[in-house]
Amino acid sequence: MHIAEGFLPVGHAVAWFVVATPFVVHGARAVIRQSREHPESRLLLAAAGAFTFVLSSIKLPSITGSSSHPTGTGLGAVLFRPPVMAFLSTIVLLFQALLLAHGGITTLGANVFSMGIAGPWVGYSLWKLSNALSWNRHLGIFAALAGADLATYVVTSFQLGLAFPDPVSGVWGSVVKFLGIFALSQVPLAVIEGILGVLVFRLLSDVAKPELERLGVVAAEPETVAA
Amino acid sequence: MAHGLTLDHAAWSSPWRPRSVRDKAVLCLGLLLAAVCLPPFPGGVAVAHVSLAVLLGPVRVGPARLGRILWAPLLSILIGVATVAVSVSWEAGPRFQVTPASLAMAEALAVRALAATLATFTLACSTPMVDLFAGLRKAHVPDPLIEIASLVYRFSFGLLDSAGAIRQAQVARLGYATRTAALRSASMGVAGLFLRSWERARRLEAGLAGRGYEDALRTLEPPRRRSTRFLIGSLMLLAVLVGGSLAWGSSAWGSAAWGFPAGGAGR
Repeated sequence: MHIAEGFLPVGHAVAWFVVATPFVVHGARAVIRQSREHPESRLLLAAAGAFTFVLSSIKLPSITGSSSHPTGTGLGAVLFRPPVMAFLSTIVLLFQALLLAHGGITTLGANVFSMGIAGPWVGYSLWKLSNALSWNRHLGIFAALAGADLATYVVTSFQLGLAFPDPVSGVWGSVVKFLGIFALSQVPLAVIEGILGVLVFRLLSDVAKPELERLGVVAAEPETVAA
Repeated sequence: MAHGLTLDHAAWSSPWRPRSVRDKAVLCLGLLLAAVCLPPFPGGVAVAHVSLAVLLGPVRVGPARLGRILWAPLLSILIGVATVAVSVSWEAGPRFQVTPASLAMAEALAVRALAATLATFTLACSTPMVDLFAGLRKAHVPDPLIEIASLVYRFSFGLLDSAGAIRQAQVARLGYATRTAALRSASMGVAGLFLRSWERARRLEAGLAGRGYEDALRTLEPPRRRSTRFLIGSLMLLAVLVGGSLAWGSSAWGSAAWGFPAGGAGR
Protein backbone atom coordinates (compact mmCIF):
# COMPACT_ATOMS: atom_id res chain seq x y z
CA MET A 1 0.00 0.00 0.00
CA HIS A 2 1.48 3.30 -1.10
CA ILE A 3 0.55 6.94 -0.60
CA ALA A 4 -0.63 8.28 -3.97
CA GLU A 5 1.13 11.01 -5.92
CA GLY A 6 0.53 14.53 -4.58
CA PHE A 7 -1.32 13.24 -1.52
CA LEU A 8 1.03 14.70 1.09
CA PRO A 9 1.37 18.45 1.78
CA VAL A 10 4.77 19.85 0.72
CA GLY A 11 6.16 20.09 4.27
CA HIS A 12 5.34 16.46 5.04
CA ALA A 13 6.68 15.21 1.69
CA VAL A 14 10.00 17.04 2.27
CA ALA A 15 10.22 15.87 5.89
CA TRP A 16 9.78 12.20 4.92
CA PHE A 17 12.44 12.60 2.21
CA VAL A 18 14.82 13.97 4.86
CA VAL A 19 14.02 11.12 7.27
CA ALA A 20 14.39 8.37 4.63
CA THR A 21 17.56 9.71 2.97
CA PRO A 22 20.16 8.51 5.55
CA PHE A 23 18.79 4.95 5.42
CA VAL A 24 18.79 4.92 1.61
CA VAL A 25 22.31 6.41 1.44
CA HIS A 26 23.50 3.80 3.95
CA GLY A 27 21.90 1.05 1.82
CA ALA A 28 23.37 2.51 -1.39
CA ARG A 29 26.85 2.57 0.17
CA ALA A 30 26.42 -1.06 1.23
CA VAL A 31 25.40 -1.94 -2.33
CA ILE A 32 28.36 0.00 -3.86
CA ARG A 33 30.82 -1.67 -1.46
CA GLN A 34 29.36 -5.09 -2.16
CA SER A 35 29.43 -4.59 -5.94
CA ARG A 36 33.08 -3.41 -5.84
CA GLU A 37 34.20 -6.34 -3.67
CA HIS A 38 32.05 -8.89 -5.48
CA PRO A 39 31.15 -7.58 -8.97
CA GLU A 40 29.13 -10.73 -9.62
CA SER A 41 26.72 -9.80 -6.81
CA ARG A 42 25.38 -6.88 -8.88
CA LEU A 43 23.39 -9.24 -11.05
CA LEU A 44 22.01 -11.11 -8.06
CA LEU A 45 21.00 -7.84 -6.36
CA ALA A 46 19.35 -6.71 -9.60
CA ALA A 47 17.52 -10.04 -9.80
CA ALA A 48 16.34 -9.48 -6.21
CA GLY A 49 15.08 -5.99 -7.10
CA ALA A 50 13.29 -7.26 -10.21
CA PHE A 51 11.78 -10.09 -8.18
CA THR A 52 10.44 -7.60 -5.59
CA PHE A 53 9.05 -5.42 -8.40
CA VAL A 54 7.37 -8.33 -10.17
CA LEU A 55 5.89 -9.57 -6.86
CA SER A 56 3.77 -6.41 -6.80
CA SER A 57 2.10 -7.58 -10.03
CA ILE A 58 1.03 -10.95 -8.60
CA LYS A 59 -2.58 -10.86 -7.41
CA LEU A 60 -3.37 -12.68 -4.19
CA PRO A 61 -6.81 -13.91 -3.13
CA SER A 62 -8.05 -11.79 -0.21
CA ILE A 63 -10.49 -12.67 2.58
CA THR A 64 -12.45 -9.46 1.95
CA GLY A 65 -13.23 -10.61 -1.59
CA SER A 66 -10.95 -8.16 -3.33
CA SER A 67 -7.48 -9.09 -4.51
CA SER A 68 -4.23 -7.48 -3.50
CA HIS A 69 -0.51 -7.93 -4.01
CA PRO A 70 2.39 -8.83 -1.70
CA THR A 71 4.99 -6.19 -0.77
CA GLY A 72 7.86 -8.68 -0.83
CA THR A 73 9.92 -6.59 1.56
CA GLY A 74 9.68 -9.07 4.46
CA LEU A 75 11.09 -11.90 2.35
CA GLY A 76 13.69 -9.50 0.91
CA ALA A 77 14.77 -8.39 4.39
CA VAL A 78 15.22 -12.00 5.56
CA LEU A 79 17.17 -12.92 2.41
CA PHE A 80 19.22 -9.75 1.77
CA ARG A 81 19.15 -7.72 5.08
CA PRO A 82 17.29 -4.42 5.67
CA PRO A 83 19.96 -1.88 4.49
CA VAL A 84 20.08 -3.45 1.02
CA MET A 85 16.26 -3.52 0.98
CA ALA A 86 16.14 0.24 1.71
CA PHE A 87 18.03 0.90 -1.54
CA LEU A 88 16.27 -1.80 -3.58
CA SER A 89 12.86 -0.62 -2.31
CA THR A 90 13.67 2.92 -3.46
CA ILE A 91 14.34 1.64 -6.98
CA VAL A 92 11.25 -0.57 -6.90
CA LEU A 93 9.04 2.28 -5.63
CA LEU A 94 10.39 4.60 -8.33
CA PHE A 95 9.59 1.95 -10.96
CA GLN A 96 6.14 1.45 -9.47
CA ALA A 97 5.51 5.21 -9.68
CA LEU A 98 6.71 5.56 -13.28
CA LEU A 99 5.73 2.18 -14.74
CA LEU A 100 2.69 1.05 -12.72
CA ALA A 101 1.29 4.45 -11.57
CA HIS A 102 1.37 3.20 -7.93
CA GLY A 103 2.68 5.70 -5.37
CA GLY A 104 4.45 8.77 -6.69
CA ILE A 105 7.57 10.91 -6.91
CA THR A 106 6.53 13.49 -4.29
CA THR A 107 5.48 10.72 -1.88
CA LEU A 108 8.59 8.60 -2.56
CA GLY A 109 10.23 9.57 0.75
CA ALA A 110 7.18 8.61 2.81
CA ASN A 111 6.65 5.36 0.89
CA VAL A 112 10.34 4.43 1.17
CA PHE A 113 10.19 5.00 4.92
CA SER A 114 7.11 2.79 5.40
CA MET A 115 7.80 0.04 2.84
CA GLY A 116 11.58 0.13 2.48
CA ILE A 117 12.72 0.94 6.02
CA ALA A 118 10.06 0.30 8.70
CA GLY A 119 8.66 -2.88 7.09
CA PRO A 120 12.01 -4.63 6.43
CA TRP A 121 13.45 -3.69 9.84
CA VAL A 122 10.38 -4.96 11.71
CA GLY A 123 10.33 -8.14 9.58
CA TYR A 124 14.04 -8.76 10.04
CA SER A 125 13.85 -8.09 13.80
CA LEU A 126 11.04 -10.62 14.15
CA TRP A 127 13.07 -13.17 12.11
CA LYS A 128 16.15 -12.66 14.34
CA LEU A 129 13.97 -12.80 17.47
CA SER A 130 12.44 -16.07 16.33
CA ASN A 131 15.94 -17.49 15.75
CA ALA A 132 17.13 -16.30 19.15
CA LEU A 133 14.10 -17.86 20.85
CA SER A 134 14.52 -21.05 18.77
CA TRP A 135 11.01 -20.84 17.35
CA ASN A 136 9.97 -23.11 14.54
CA ARG A 137 11.54 -21.67 11.37
CA HIS A 138 8.17 -21.50 9.60
CA LEU A 139 6.67 -19.51 12.47
CA GLY A 140 9.62 -17.11 12.23
CA ILE A 141 9.08 -16.64 8.48
CA PHE A 142 5.35 -16.09 9.01
CA ALA A 143 6.04 -13.49 11.74
CA ALA A 144 8.67 -11.72 9.59
CA LEU A 145 6.49 -11.43 6.49
CA ALA A 146 3.22 -10.62 8.23
CA GLY A 147 5.06 -8.23 10.60
CA ALA A 148 6.73 -6.38 7.72
CA ASP A 149 3.40 -6.00 5.95
CA LEU A 150 1.59 -4.81 9.11
CA ALA A 151 4.40 -2.38 9.98
CA THR A 152 4.17 -0.85 6.50
CA TYR A 153 0.42 -0.41 6.91
CA VAL A 154 0.64 1.04 10.44
CA VAL A 155 3.39 3.52 9.48
CA THR A 156 1.46 4.60 6.36
CA SER A 157 -1.64 5.20 8.52
CA PHE A 158 0.44 7.35 10.91
CA GLN A 159 1.91 9.30 7.98
CA LEU A 160 -1.59 10.02 6.63
CA GLY A 161 -2.96 10.78 10.11
CA LEU A 162 -0.20 13.33 10.72
CA ALA A 163 -0.82 14.93 7.30
CA PHE A 164 -4.61 15.06 7.63
CA PRO A 165 -5.62 15.52 11.28
CA ASP A 166 -9.35 15.04 11.79
CA PRO A 167 -11.11 18.42 12.35
CA VAL A 168 -13.04 16.90 15.30
CA SER A 169 -10.83 14.19 16.84
CA GLY A 170 -7.35 15.45 15.80
CA VAL A 171 -4.30 13.45 14.73
CA TRP A 172 -5.11 10.34 16.77
CA GLY A 173 -8.68 10.24 15.51
CA SER A 174 -7.35 10.45 11.97
CA VAL A 175 -4.75 7.72 12.58
CA VAL A 176 -7.48 5.40 13.95
CA LYS A 177 -9.66 6.26 10.94
CA PHE A 178 -6.93 5.32 8.43
CA LEU A 179 -5.99 2.21 10.41
CA GLY A 180 -9.65 1.15 10.37
CA ILE A 181 -10.14 1.75 6.64
CA PHE A 182 -6.94 0.00 5.55
CA ALA A 183 -7.36 -2.85 8.07
CA LEU A 184 -10.12 -4.23 5.80
CA SER A 185 -7.59 -5.13 3.14
CA GLN A 186 -4.21 -5.02 4.90
CA VAL A 187 -4.78 -7.32 7.89
CA PRO A 188 -6.03 -10.24 5.75
CA LEU A 189 -3.28 -9.45 3.24
CA ALA A 190 -0.59 -9.61 5.96
CA VAL A 191 -1.89 -13.00 7.11
CA ILE A 192 -1.99 -14.30 3.53
CA GLU A 193 1.49 -12.93 2.76
CA GLY A 194 2.77 -14.67 5.92
CA ILE A 195 1.22 -18.01 4.87
CA LEU A 196 2.48 -17.54 1.30
CA GLY A 197 5.96 -16.80 2.67
CA VAL A 198 5.97 -20.06 4.65
CA LEU A 199 4.98 -22.03 1.53
CA VAL A 200 7.60 -20.23 -0.59
CA PHE A 201 10.29 -20.79 2.04
CA ARG A 202 9.45 -24.50 2.24
CA LEU A 203 9.81 -24.79 -1.53
CA LEU A 204 13.05 -22.82 -1.49
CA SER A 205 14.45 -25.00 1.30
CA ASP A 206 13.78 -28.04 -0.88
CA VAL A 207 15.08 -26.77 -4.22
CA ALA A 208 17.41 -23.84 -3.45
CA LYS A 209 19.15 -24.79 -0.21
CA PRO A 210 22.66 -23.86 -1.48
CA GLU A 211 21.43 -20.34 -2.31
CA LEU A 212 19.85 -19.95 1.15
CA GLU A 213 23.08 -21.16 2.77
CA ARG A 214 25.12 -18.76 0.65
CA LEU A 215 22.91 -15.87 1.80
CA GLY A 216 23.31 -16.98 5.42
CA VAL A 217 19.55 -17.47 5.85
CA VAL A 218 19.98 -21.09 6.93
CA ALA A 219 23.08 -22.56 8.54
CA ALA A 220 25.25 -24.64 6.21
CA GLU A 221 25.22 -28.32 7.08
CA PRO A 222 28.69 -29.77 7.83
CA GLU A 223 29.92 -32.04 5.06
CA THR A 224 30.04 -35.66 6.04
CA VAL A 225 33.28 -37.37 5.21
CA ALA A 226 33.12 -41.02 4.34
CA ALA A 227 35.29 -43.12 6.58
CA MET B 1 -0.26 -5.27 -15.31
CA ALA B 2 -1.96 -3.82 -18.35
CA HIS B 3 -1.71 -0.22 -17.24
CA GLY B 4 1.97 -0.72 -16.33
CA LEU B 5 2.84 -1.88 -19.81
CA THR B 6 0.64 0.91 -21.15
CA LEU B 7 2.80 3.54 -19.42
CA ASP B 8 6.01 2.01 -20.75
CA HIS B 9 4.59 1.61 -24.26
CA ALA B 10 3.43 5.22 -24.21
CA ALA B 11 6.94 6.38 -23.23
CA TRP B 12 8.69 4.39 -25.97
CA SER B 13 6.27 5.51 -28.70
CA SER B 14 6.04 9.15 -27.61
CA PRO B 15 6.92 11.83 -30.22
CA TRP B 16 8.77 13.56 -27.35
CA ARG B 17 11.15 10.64 -26.86
CA PRO B 18 13.97 12.21 -28.93
CA ARG B 19 13.86 15.35 -26.78
CA SER B 20 16.56 15.80 -24.17
CA VAL B 21 15.74 14.50 -20.67
CA ARG B 22 16.82 17.87 -19.25
CA ASP B 23 14.20 19.75 -21.29
CA LYS B 24 11.39 17.33 -20.39
CA ALA B 25 12.41 17.18 -16.72
CA VAL B 26 12.24 20.98 -16.41
CA LEU B 27 8.65 21.01 -17.72
CA CYS B 28 7.35 17.83 -16.06
CA LEU B 29 9.00 18.25 -12.66
CA GLY B 30 8.10 21.96 -12.76
CA LEU B 31 4.45 21.00 -13.28
CA LEU B 32 4.70 18.46 -10.45
CA LEU B 33 6.22 21.03 -8.11
CA ALA B 34 3.53 23.57 -9.07
CA ALA B 35 0.82 20.96 -8.43
CA VAL B 36 1.92 20.34 -4.85
CA CYS B 37 3.08 23.88 -3.96
CA LEU B 38 0.39 26.11 -5.47
CA PRO B 39 -3.05 26.52 -3.91
CA PRO B 40 -5.39 23.88 -5.42
CA PHE B 41 -7.73 26.62 -6.65
CA PRO B 42 -6.80 27.78 -9.23
CA GLY B 43 -3.14 26.56 -9.28
CA GLY B 44 -3.86 22.82 -9.04
CA VAL B 45 -6.77 23.03 -11.48
CA ALA B 46 -4.57 24.92 -13.98
CA VAL B 47 -1.73 22.38 -13.65
CA ALA B 48 -4.20 19.51 -14.21
CA HIS B 49 -5.52 21.18 -17.38
CA VAL B 50 -2.03 21.96 -18.72
CA SER B 51 -0.82 18.40 -18.01
CA LEU B 52 -3.90 16.96 -19.70
CA ALA B 53 -3.30 19.19 -22.73
CA VAL B 54 0.37 18.08 -22.89
CA LEU B 55 -0.58 14.38 -22.58
CA LEU B 56 -3.35 14.45 -25.18
CA GLY B 57 -1.55 16.95 -27.43
CA PRO B 58 2.20 16.72 -28.14
CA VAL B 59 2.85 13.54 -26.07
CA ARG B 60 -0.05 11.82 -27.95
CA VAL B 61 -1.16 9.42 -25.25
CA GLY B 62 -4.75 9.20 -26.56
CA PRO B 63 -7.93 9.30 -24.44
CA ALA B 64 -8.39 5.50 -24.29
CA ARG B 65 -4.81 4.85 -23.22
CA LEU B 66 -4.99 7.71 -20.70
CA GLY B 67 -8.14 6.18 -19.24
CA ARG B 68 -6.38 2.81 -18.83
CA ILE B 69 -3.43 4.49 -17.12
CA LEU B 70 -5.52 6.74 -14.89
CA TRP B 71 -8.16 4.45 -13.39
CA ALA B 72 -5.95 2.77 -10.76
CA PRO B 73 -4.45 5.97 -9.24
CA LEU B 74 -7.88 7.62 -9.48
CA LEU B 75 -9.41 4.83 -7.40
CA SER B 76 -6.63 5.18 -4.82
CA ILE B 77 -7.17 8.96 -4.66
CA LEU B 78 -10.94 8.53 -4.25
CA ILE B 79 -10.55 6.13 -1.30
CA GLY B 80 -8.10 8.51 0.41
CA VAL B 81 -10.22 11.59 -0.24
CA ALA B 82 -13.37 9.87 1.07
CA THR B 83 -11.49 8.91 4.25
CA VAL B 84 -10.38 12.50 4.78
CA ALA B 85 -13.89 13.88 4.05
CA VAL B 86 -15.55 11.81 6.77
CA SER B 87 -14.75 13.00 10.28
CA VAL B 88 -14.81 10.41 13.08
CA SER B 89 -15.30 11.11 16.80
CA TRP B 90 -16.34 9.12 19.85
CA GLU B 91 -19.48 10.11 21.79
CA ALA B 92 -20.93 7.00 23.45
CA GLY B 93 -19.96 5.15 20.29
CA PRO B 94 -18.35 6.08 16.99
CA ARG B 95 -19.84 9.16 15.33
CA PHE B 96 -19.29 9.81 11.63
CA GLN B 97 -19.92 13.25 10.16
CA VAL B 98 -18.93 15.41 7.22
CA THR B 99 -17.88 18.85 8.48
CA PRO B 100 -17.21 21.92 6.28
CA ALA B 101 -13.54 21.78 7.36
CA SER B 102 -13.12 18.10 6.43
CA LEU B 103 -14.94 18.67 3.14
CA ALA B 104 -12.68 21.63 2.24
CA MET B 105 -9.59 19.54 3.10
CA ALA B 106 -10.83 16.64 0.97
CA GLU B 107 -11.66 18.95 -1.95
CA ALA B 108 -8.20 20.54 -1.93
CA LEU B 109 -6.58 17.11 -1.59
CA ALA B 110 -8.50 15.66 -4.55
CA VAL B 111 -7.43 18.52 -6.83
CA ARG B 112 -3.79 18.42 -5.69
CA ALA B 113 -3.46 14.64 -6.01
CA LEU B 114 -5.10 14.54 -9.45
CA ALA B 115 -2.96 17.46 -10.72
CA ALA B 116 0.23 15.84 -9.39
CA THR B 117 -0.69 12.46 -10.89
CA LEU B 118 -1.28 13.99 -14.32
CA ALA B 119 1.97 15.99 -14.04
CA THR B 120 3.91 12.78 -13.26
CA PHE B 121 2.30 11.10 -16.27
CA THR B 122 3.76 13.81 -18.55
CA LEU B 123 7.22 12.50 -17.62
CA ALA B 124 6.30 8.79 -17.42
CA CYS B 125 4.57 8.85 -20.82
CA SER B 126 7.34 10.69 -22.66
CA THR B 127 10.58 9.32 -21.18
CA PRO B 128 11.50 5.61 -21.03
CA MET B 129 13.41 4.47 -17.93
CA VAL B 130 16.62 3.89 -19.93
CA ASP B 131 16.67 7.59 -20.88
CA LEU B 132 16.20 8.55 -17.22
CA PHE B 133 19.16 6.32 -16.27
CA ALA B 134 21.29 8.07 -18.90
CA GLY B 135 20.20 11.41 -17.41
CA LEU B 136 21.07 10.25 -13.89
CA ARG B 137 24.50 9.08 -15.11
CA LYS B 138 25.11 12.55 -16.52
CA ALA B 139 24.05 13.97 -13.13
CA HIS B 140 26.98 11.99 -11.58
CA VAL B 141 24.92 9.41 -9.68
CA PRO B 142 27.43 6.60 -8.86
CA ASP B 143 27.77 4.07 -11.68
CA PRO B 144 27.11 0.90 -9.64
CA LEU B 145 23.74 2.30 -8.48
CA ILE B 146 22.67 3.20 -12.03
CA GLU B 147 23.91 -0.18 -13.15
CA ILE B 148 21.79 -2.07 -10.62
CA ALA B 149 18.72 0.08 -11.37
CA SER B 150 19.05 -0.53 -15.11
CA LEU B 151 19.58 -4.26 -14.55
CA VAL B 152 16.44 -4.36 -12.37
CA TYR B 153 14.56 -2.72 -15.27
CA ARG B 154 15.92 -5.21 -17.83
CA PHE B 155 15.24 -8.23 -15.63
CA SER B 156 11.72 -7.05 -14.77
CA PHE B 157 10.29 -7.54 -18.26
CA GLY B 158 11.62 -11.08 -18.61
CA LEU B 159 10.25 -11.92 -15.18
CA LEU B 160 6.89 -10.29 -15.94
CA ASP B 161 6.60 -12.54 -18.99
CA SER B 162 7.52 -15.55 -16.84
CA ALA B 163 4.99 -14.56 -14.16
CA GLY B 164 2.28 -14.24 -16.83
CA ALA B 165 3.17 -17.62 -18.36
CA ILE B 166 3.26 -19.36 -14.96
CA ARG B 167 -0.12 -17.90 -14.01
CA GLN B 168 -1.67 -18.81 -17.38
CA ALA B 169 -0.48 -22.40 -17.01
CA GLN B 170 -1.81 -22.59 -13.43
CA VAL B 171 -5.19 -21.14 -14.41
CA ALA B 172 -5.46 -23.66 -17.28
CA ARG B 173 -4.93 -26.45 -14.71
CA LEU B 174 -7.65 -24.99 -12.41
CA GLY B 175 -4.93 -23.76 -10.06
CA TYR B 176 -7.09 -20.89 -8.86
CA ALA B 177 -10.41 -22.76 -8.69
CA THR B 178 -10.53 -22.83 -4.87
CA ARG B 179 -8.95 -20.64 -2.18
CA THR B 180 -6.60 -23.44 -1.07
CA ALA B 181 -5.56 -24.17 -4.65
CA ALA B 182 -5.04 -20.44 -5.26
CA LEU B 183 -2.72 -20.15 -2.24
CA ARG B 184 -0.75 -23.19 -3.33
CA SER B 185 -0.52 -21.92 -6.93
CA ALA B 186 0.51 -18.42 -5.83
CA SER B 187 3.25 -19.78 -3.53
CA MET B 188 4.57 -22.12 -6.22
CA GLY B 189 4.49 -19.28 -8.71
CA VAL B 190 6.43 -16.94 -6.41
CA ALA B 191 9.01 -19.61 -5.55
CA GLY B 192 9.39 -20.53 -9.23
CA LEU B 193 9.83 -16.89 -10.12
CA PHE B 194 12.50 -16.44 -7.43
CA LEU B 195 14.45 -19.41 -8.73
CA ARG B 196 14.14 -18.24 -12.35
CA SER B 197 15.39 -14.75 -11.48
CA TRP B 198 18.30 -16.29 -9.55
CA GLU B 199 19.17 -18.70 -12.35
CA ARG B 200 18.95 -16.05 -15.06
CA ALA B 201 21.19 -13.69 -13.09
CA ARG B 202 23.74 -16.46 -12.60
CA ARG B 203 23.72 -17.46 -16.29
CA LEU B 204 23.96 -13.82 -17.38
CA GLU B 205 26.81 -13.20 -14.96
CA ALA B 206 28.73 -16.22 -16.31
CA GLY B 207 28.15 -15.13 -19.90
CA LEU B 208 29.14 -11.52 -19.27
CA ALA B 209 32.18 -12.46 -17.18
CA GLY B 210 33.40 -14.43 -20.20
CA ARG B 211 33.10 -11.24 -22.26
CA GLY B 212 35.08 -9.13 -19.79
CA TYR B 213 32.19 -7.47 -17.92
CA GLU B 214 33.72 -5.48 -15.08
CA ASP B 215 31.98 -2.19 -14.46
CA ALA B 216 28.90 -1.25 -16.50
CA LEU B 217 26.73 -2.52 -19.33
CA ARG B 218 26.76 0.74 -21.27
CA THR B 219 24.95 0.92 -24.58
CA LEU B 220 25.16 3.58 -27.29
CA GLU B 221 22.78 6.42 -26.57
CA PRO B 222 20.95 7.91 -29.55
CA PRO B 223 21.49 11.68 -29.85
CA ARG B 224 18.93 13.69 -27.91
CA ARG B 225 17.54 17.00 -29.16
CA ARG B 226 18.20 19.92 -26.82
CA SER B 227 15.98 22.90 -27.54
CA THR B 228 16.46 26.32 -25.98
CA ARG B 229 13.05 27.34 -27.33
CA PHE B 230 11.38 24.38 -25.59
CA LEU B 231 13.21 25.19 -22.36
CA ILE B 232 12.30 28.88 -22.44
CA GLY B 233 8.69 28.03 -23.37
CA SER B 234 8.47 25.60 -20.43
CA LEU B 235 9.88 28.15 -17.99
CA MET B 236 7.47 30.81 -19.29
CA LEU B 237 4.51 28.43 -18.94
CA LEU B 238 5.51 27.63 -15.36
CA ALA B 239 5.99 31.33 -14.59
CA VAL B 240 2.51 32.10 -15.96
CA LEU B 241 1.04 29.25 -13.86
CA VAL B 242 2.71 30.46 -10.67
CA GLY B 243 2.11 34.17 -11.29
CA GLY B 244 -1.49 33.69 -12.39
CA SER B 245 -2.27 31.41 -9.46
CA LEU B 246 -0.78 33.77 -6.89
CA ALA B 247 -2.49 36.81 -8.46
CA TRP B 248 -5.83 34.99 -8.50
CA GLY B 249 -5.40 33.84 -4.92
CA SER B 250 -4.67 37.34 -3.68
CA SER B 251 -7.49 39.01 -5.61
CA ALA B 252 -10.82 39.51 -3.88
CA TRP B 253 -12.68 38.45 -7.06
CA GLY B 254 -10.93 35.13 -7.28
CA SER B 255 -11.51 34.39 -3.60
CA ALA B 256 -15.17 35.28 -3.80
CA ALA B 257 -15.62 33.22 -6.95
CA TRP B 258 -14.41 30.06 -5.19
CA GLY B 259 -15.89 30.90 -1.81
CA PHE B 260 -12.56 30.96 0.02
CA PRO B 261 -10.97 33.72 2.08
CA ALA B 262 -8.38 35.88 0.28
CA GLY B 263 -4.91 34.37 0.28
CA GLY B 264 -5.86 30.97 -1.17
CA ALA B 265 -7.64 27.96 0.14
CA GLY B 266 -4.93 25.39 -0.28
CA ARG B 267 -3.08 23.64 2.40
